[in-house]
Amino acid sequence: MRQPDNSKAGTQQGDGLAGKELLRVNNLTVRLNSTAGLVHAVEDVSFSVGEGETLGIVGESGSGKSVMARSLMSLLPKRATALRQGSIRLSGREIASLTERELQKLRGPAMAMIFQDPMTALNPVLRLSVQLSEPLQQHLGMNRQQARMRAIELLEAVGIPDAVNRIDQYPHQLSGGMRQRVVIAIALSCNPGLLIADEPTTALDVTVQKQILDLLSTLQRERRMGMLLITHDLGVVASRADNIAVMYAGRLVEIAPARTLFKFMQHPYTEALFNSIPRISDPSHTRLQAIPGRPPQLVKPAPGCAFAPRCPYAQQRCHRERPPMVKADDAGHLHACFYPVIRPVAAGVDPSALMQKRSGQ
Amino acid sequence: MTDMNTERQSDNQKPAQLRERDDIVLRVENLVVNFAVGKQTVQAVSNVSLDVARGETLGLVGESGCGKSTVGRAIMQLPSPTSGEVIFKGQDLTRMSGEQLRQTRTGLQMIFQDPISSLNPRRKVKDIIAEGLHIWRRPNQEARVREVMEAVGLDPDAAADRRPHQFSGGQCQRICIARSLALDPDVLICDEPVSALDVSVQAQILNLLEDMKQRYQLTMVFVAHNLAVVKNISDRVAVMYLGKLCEIGDTEAIYARPAHPYTRALLASIPDIDPDSNLPPDHLPLLQGDLPSPANPPSGCRFRTRCPHAQALCADREPVMQAVPGELTQGSLEQRSGKDHFVACHFPLV
Ligand SMILES: Nc1ncnc2c1ncn2[C@@H]1O[C@H](COP(=O)(O)OP(=O)(O)OP(=O)(O)O)[C@@H](O)[C@H]1O
Ligand SMILES: Nc1ncnc2c1ncn2[C@@H]1O[C@H](COP(=O)(O)OP(=O)(O)OP(=O)(O)O)[C@@H](O)[C@H]1O
Ligand code: SF4
Ligand code: SF4
Ligand SMILES: [Mg+2]
Ligand SMILES: [Mg+2]
Repeated sequence: MRQPDNSKAGTQQGDGLAGKELLRVNNLTVRLNSTAGLVHAVEDVSFSVGEGETLGIVGESGSGKSVMARSLMSLLPKRATALRQGSIRLSGREIASLTERELQKLRGPAMAMIFQDPMTALNPVLRLSVQLSEPLQQHLGMNRQQARMRAIELLEAVGIPDAVNRIDQYPHQLSGGMRQRVVIAIALSCNPGLLIADEPTTALDVTVQKQILDLLSTLQRERRMGMLLITHDLGVVASRADNIAVMYAGRLVEIAPARTLFKFMQHPYTEALFNSIPRISDPSHTRLQAIPGRPPQLVKPAPGCAFAPRCPYAQQRCHRERPPMVKADDAGHLHACFYPVIRPVAAGVDPSALMQKRSGQ
Repeated sequence: MTDMNTERQSDNQKPAQLRERDDIVLRVENLVVNFAVGKQTVQAVSNVSLDVARGETLGLVGESGCGKSTVGRAIMQLPSPTSGEVIFKGQDLTRMSGEQLRQTRTGLQMIFQDPISSLNPRRKVKDIIAEGLHIWRRPNQEARVREVMEAVGLDPDAAADRRPHQFSGGQCQRICIARSLALDPDVLICDEPVSALDVSVQAQILNLLEDMKQRYQLTMVFVAHNLAVVKNISDRVAVMYLGKLCEIGDTEAIYARPAHPYTRALLASIPDIDPDSNLPPDHLPLLQGDLPSPANPPSGCRFRTRCPHAQALCADREPVMQAVPGELTQGSLEQRSGKDHFVACHFPLV
């Protein structure tokens, strides 16, 4: 067998072996208009992704992951966008200020996106053949026949059986998971340098999911494709991401190499997120540890830490002051919490007990 | 007991997995759904029979495209199946039409797979949730809307007047769940209800559904591909492959002792959340080959083209649903009759 993903284990430690920097985002802030007021969807987010590398993004539903992803591609609805500020550099080039025409040339070959809701990403009245061929003709200069052949190959690559016949169907004639795979095929059609994948495998069963993730891994290895992988599935990020960023209420609250995060998570929200996963080893009907309370409102955010109303470790200071991002180590682990989870023994918590609890899961 | 057995044997048509109980709320018998696609006929669902008792949750799993959503929609008569029966509280929905069907169907609600596109973008959230209450002129609509919004973790004051496009994917899913609960249904069919949600909201929703089940004896059919989620919520699990049912029974039995080779492969491909335990993700066993086209399914057992245990018989004869043999021959008569585990395979793994 091939042993490609063993090599990935090396880069997971953030040892600097990963390729050149592909994407760097600095202090990205996005605010949207809504009937309820200004939504602070993304606040002061910074991170980078190297060539061939995967940054997994996890976090609360409604925490701004999709808005952030769309803003990187400059695909936010114009009218709703009240503010977008910060720097987005793709292979060293600042792209936040490009015109729509310049961006159109980049979308497809330089960066592509897999949208979260496949049905809204596909045009319901066009056959798959049309939707798949269009970018191929536009960006790669193929003629109709070439584009059709390539489109069939792409459908086969994402595991759609009977692609030759499926290609002439309409989106509603496919199952949910097939639609999602068509969206993936479209995103991959122009060999993007950067792939932003927003919940690419949510509608897929484990076997197809694995097939798709393996395909993406291969592209990353062979073409050095960088990837932003937004997902709710912590099993997926655990096995596929080099680094993981955790978002809550529009902000990054923790970022670290994947294994570091799993072993030494610092932020109470990260801990709560991991505790709420159903385990296959637990008996049926085991009560899950949901995070109490409601997710935060992004309209008129309160001062202080956004997690404070739900945080078991919160103290007075957390309600008044916003915790800044601080280093947990020198290997790329950052978090934003005044009272991180693994605290000195003096604070009355036995870190080894916490560690055991976590690794036992 | 003896009576029942002889009756079953005499009636060859009766699928083994259907139960003789008075608390069966929903029974699907020999369900077939065909779609005409060009000149071909796609057999999306082929002879599926299953039942759900009051207050019970049946998990429905299987590969993408195997027909799970189609089963859910056929139960709702959206559209009604090509053939077969859907018995809801003793009445066959497939024989109903018009007003009678619409009336009866209020007791059945479905949460659809594409949450965002199933919401009308022009309507406010509170109107979307109140829609059914409005049509059926239920009392205290406003209070009920607030109640279900609270229940699914949406802030009624902040969210009620907004429109769907101003919400995230997971928030839209919660709106869908609130809408389906508003009418207080007997049976809830959930098609991937939590796959768009982060794990903490997912935990909230699963706990919520569990509470609803305890409180209102809510009966559920729960379609999902996350096998840990299905295990958590389900009393029984049904596994489908290419339009057919291949295994059904008690959740613990199926997870502990999968008898169908397909179920076993499915359980073996779950990604692990411990990064140490799955260094090379490639080591996981993957089903060989692609899902065959449902327009042209393999003869005999539909799984045979990918089954590591397939033999000549598997191509010739279609396996029928039977009680899992190993479990039948052990223990006392009472214990045996309590076993709820059925498989359609000539050579089940025991
Ligand atoms: N077009 C829009 N107009 C106004 N507000 C919006 C719009 N789109 C999203 N929002 C709001 O912005 C916030 C972030 O939404 P986003 O879709 O990025 O969440 P997410 O992290 O992707 O969540 P999920 O995991 O549920 O998909 C949410 O509070 C949402 O209500
Ligand atoms: N309206 C339709 N017209 C033609 N074929 C259809 C239609 N709806 C579904 N199908 C086909 O029926 C089969 C079963 O689809 P279904 O949506 O039930 O799958 P599923 O098990 O829900 O899959 P997923 O997990 O991907 O949602 C697929 O081959 C699909 O292409
Ligand atoms: S800063 Fe305070 S409230 Fe925020 S996560 Fe840390 S301990 Fe909890
Ligand atoms: S009947 Fe044969 S091919 Fe089908 S699952 Fe059983 S052993 Fe495999
Ligand atoms: Mg999203
Ligand atoms: Mg489906």
